[in-house]
Amino acid sequence: MLSRIKVGPAPHIKAAYSTRRIMLDVMIALVPAIAMSVVYFRVRAAVLITVCVLACAATEWLCNRIRRRPDSLHDGSAMLTGLILALSLPPALPVWAAVLGSAFAIAIGKMVFGGLGSNIFNPAMAGRLFLTASFGTLMTTWTVPGTLGPVQTGSDQMAQMPAVAAANTLPNSPELQAVTQATPLAWSKEAIKGKSPVDTANRMIRPALVGQVGGCLGETSALALLVGGVYLLIRRTITFHIPLAVLGSALLCAAIGWLLKPEAYASPLLHLAGGGLLLGAFFIATDPVTAPLSHRGMVLFGVGVGVLTMLIRMVGEYPEGVMFAVFLMNAVTPLIDRLCRVTPFGGVPRG
Amino acid sequence: MKGGLTFPGGVHPPEYKDLTEDCPIQVVPAPSQVVLPLSQHIGTPCRPTVAKGDTVQAGQVVGDADAFVSAPVHSPVAGKVKAVGLAPHAVLGRCQAVTIETDPNAPDDKAPSPQRFGADFNPETYAPEQIRQAARAAGLVGMGGAGFPTRVKLEPNPEQPKKVLIVNGCECEPFITCDYRLMLEWTDQVIAGVRLAARAAEVERIKIGIEDNKPQAIEAVRRAVETCGMDERIEVCVLRTKYPQGSERQLIRAVLGRHVPSGQIPPAIGVLVMNVATCAALAEAVVLGAPLTHRVVTVTGPAIGAPGNYYVPVGMTVGDLIEHCGGLTERSARVVLGGPMMGLAIADMTTPITKTTGAITFLVDRVVRGDRLARPTPCIRCGRCLAVCPEGLNPTKIAHAVMYEKPDLAEQYYMNVCMECGSCSFVCPAHIELTGYIKTGKILHARAKKRMPP
Repeated sequence: MLSRIKVGPAPHIKAAYSTRRIMLDVMIALVPAIAMSVVYFRVRAAVLITVCVLACAATEWLCNRIRRRPDSLHDGSAMLTGLILALSLPPALPVWAAVLGSAFAIAIGKMVFGGLGSNIFNPAMAGRLFLTASFGTLMTTWTVPGTLGPVQTGSDQMAQMPAVAAANTLPNSPELQAVTQATPLAWSKEAIKGKSPVDTANRMIRPALVGQVGGCLGETSALALLVGGVYLLIRRTITFHIPLAVLGSALLCAAIGWLLKPEAYASPLLHLAGGGLLLGAFFIATDPVTAPLSHRGMVLFGVGVGVLTMLIRMVGEYPEGVMFAVFLMNAVTPLIDRLCRVTPFGGVPRG
Repeated sequence: MKGGLTFPGGVHPPEYKDLTEDCPIQVVPAPSQVVLPLSQHIGTPCRPTVAKGDTVQAGQVVGDADAFVSAPVHSPVAGKVKAVGLAPHAVLGRCQAVTIETDPNAPDDKAPSPQRFGADFNPETYAPEQIRQAARAAGLVGMGGAGFPTRVKLEPNPEQPKKVLIVNGCECEPFITCDYRLMLEWTDQVIAGVRLAARAAEVERIKIGIEDNKPQAIEAVRRAVETCGMDERIEVCVLRTKYPQGSERQLIRAVLGRHVPSGQIPPAIGVLVMNVATCAALAEAVVLGAPLTHRVVTVTGPAIGAPGNYYVPVGMTVGDLIEHCGGLTERSARVVLGGPMMGLAIADMTTPITKTTGAITFLVDRVVRGDRLARPTPCIRCGRCLAVCPEGLNPTKIAHAVMYEKPDLAEQYYMNVCMECGSCSFVCPAHIELTGYIKTGKILHARAKKRMPP
């Protein structure tokens, strides 16, 4: 009965938590968004997601082999990176590009830094940035969701979005599964430049909530992302600090523009629902490895992400800015950690 | 009865108190031999006052020291000194100890005597100095775990007058129920000890802190306080159940809303904290002149045959206690002196129970492991350790600084403020032994400091 006793440092019990559990929880939270992407983009979505997850896992396995390190696939972080990368890709992206992006995300985004816990930048965002920089056209070709195919030409949806219909002269071909169109944020950008009325963008709020708009695989349906985010908060896998700071600061920025110049700037709701703000706030900015340690630091980080995103969307050249904002804030995370050093409750000890 | 008072940070480990909370305190007969370590307290270790072959009486002093910060050691049994030499010690590894072979013919009549104390107990009949002397003579030390000599604690200091006595009835460690049973069964004795301690330390107010997961104890203590006619000075504070509520600094934070400055002890803000078991022992020492030779120990865990709360002679070995408590029924993964959060895992079953041992926990694999899917990973910087640290530290930074042998960096993150409660290791999803590394760092730091020329 005492033959197997071990000694070890206290505590001798552990909370039912693990890195794997955290990664698994985030994957579960992404299920609604995955489901919606498959509903809207059909086989394309399923293929891209599968390819990214497998490519990421394979790259991590290979990197560990090359570095002669023990396998680290068990923590699930590589698969999660693949999942998030896939959900941030445009549906029409060719499979080879997705594989390339996944390989870059894991190999350069994570493993060269030393693997899980050591990377400075969010690996999924590194992969996406690489693809954006290398294959700009592919990364900005937005497919109209399959459910909005040619069948619905002239239907309610099209009537709602006259500009969309105008921009896409649809050939009446039965083989046509999907067409390309501009995303809500692209219309918002057009409005800021005065090239199109802001109403075109604002009319997309409701479709963007459910996902009947163009965009990345995972970011089309705001509601699905919200459900996942709430799940993560309830499970306490993430704390409210980062999502609240990102969304709060972004909404505030959007509201300032909208109140000052409603004829040029789209409604804050559009900025919330269209584009990657929700995906970023709940799933990307909350990546623990690349976010600050303390709660104070997390809030600062989140505000940085939110403000930078809106600066890019409203002032910058790109229609979407979540990826750049997260990337830039990842770079200053060590500085934030240094700035937000925690001091003991009992004060700094004397002597 | 929901407790409102609490402290920042902390964790909620599973309690496992149902194993023993309804087990009344049972007297354990004297074992055939006791091993009495001569260092069971913080301060100068005792020198043996007996030699091999000497005959000793129950309650006789076997070790003492002249130093002020020290406490004598008494024999719980009558018998013959078998050896004076090194013996296993839970904290120190090995230390000087007196081994006594029990005389089987000597009467074994040591038993708790809570019935000797009633609501009409009057502490005024004892002079403060008399109480303090009795505490020293009885070898009293803090029985909550630290083992600070009670006599030293009670000494009034004109420079730092003590205003509040906080009585610690929290018992926040999982599994342990010895203080709970004490408050329930020996209520009047505990209150008598509290009043004696207040008189000796010359404090004005008394606050008794109990976690809200012990409603019966709160009820019993409240009733005893009401009947003793001192209730305007004594207040029972109901605290929110959270680990480490029973830690001195966190208890003060919860009860008074103030932090003891880092690196200082409670008298710095005029507070004296005493454990309920120490109070009960003080009452016995002062009124009955009985030395501290026995204490209540919770023997618990899924692997022990008869879990319960036992009145155990100090010096009884863990092995003898296992035998008395029905042996082990399951394969034990860890044998822990104390609770699972801060206790020490031992490998040598000849290690004796000391004055500060509140529990022995026999853990099994399924309890130790937590998440079955878990495997250690690198730190993912989730910040959970920062969120739960009750002292507001950055455990992951300190632990990693120690891991990579950067003692200066560890110091910059206030390593020595850590009180090793284990909350950070408990929540760490990467299963890094944060507390273990910090402990190592503190030991290395202390050693490096010693080597420096004055």
